[in-house]
Amino acid sequence: MSNLNDRLQQFKKNFESGAAPYNVTPERVAMMHRATAELKASGIEARALKIGDHAPDFALLNQDQIEVRSRDLLRQGPMLVSFFRGHW
Amino acid sequence: MELEALKEIDPAVRELGARIVVLAPELERYTRALHKKLGLPFDILTDLHLKIAEQFGLVFTFPDYLRDLYKSFGSTLDRFHDESEYRLPVPARYIVDASGEIRAADVNADYTIRPEPSETLRLLKELVRTERDP
Repeated sequence: MSNLNDRLQQFKKNFESGAAPYNVTPERVAMMHRATAELKASGIEARALKIGDHAPDFALLNQDQIEVRSRDLLRQGPMLVSFFRGHW
Repeated sequence: MELEALKEIDPAVRELGARIVVLAPELERYTRALHKKLGLPFDILTDLHLKIAEQFGLVFTFPDYLRDLYKSFGSTLDRFHDESEYRLPVPARYIVDASGEIRAADVNADYTIRPEPSETLRLLKELVRTERDP
């Protein structure tokens, strides 16, 4: 198994090269880089919850529309929470 | 890619008595399709309107120029998320212990960099070991 960030960087390289199927232009690549730089500069990383903070409780629907509660998960042991942007 | 990588560590995570859960702002009809396609052993939860991501301090709004760019790629987030504002969470991964305390946090504003699952697994092992033999 290759590591995740190697795979991500490989994808990024292909994407930014402008090759098919994305055919992205250099102007658009520059725009995306600018957005990431602005987001970093906004200080969001420092404002997010960090080690030692209490994680908010949640009760959310899963892919089968069944409610899942963080408290029920934590009763079984530690919980690994990953925030994901989406499928697109 | 990240979900597939988490799938690879899922058996080891379960062996440690822990659970993986993924929060995404997408509606269930989209998470359902993705969940099925990837054959995921853990849940994807719909964090509707980013309510929980907000409490974690992870939400940002797309600048206008980026919104137009993503629309041109066919990513219409208003439809996927049921909201007109283009807001997203920055990628983040947390380990929360049984008491609800955050024991590991990895937040990166650059969405092309993700926490390495092998590192997350290492931290989880360390946590479980510490809890067992304080």
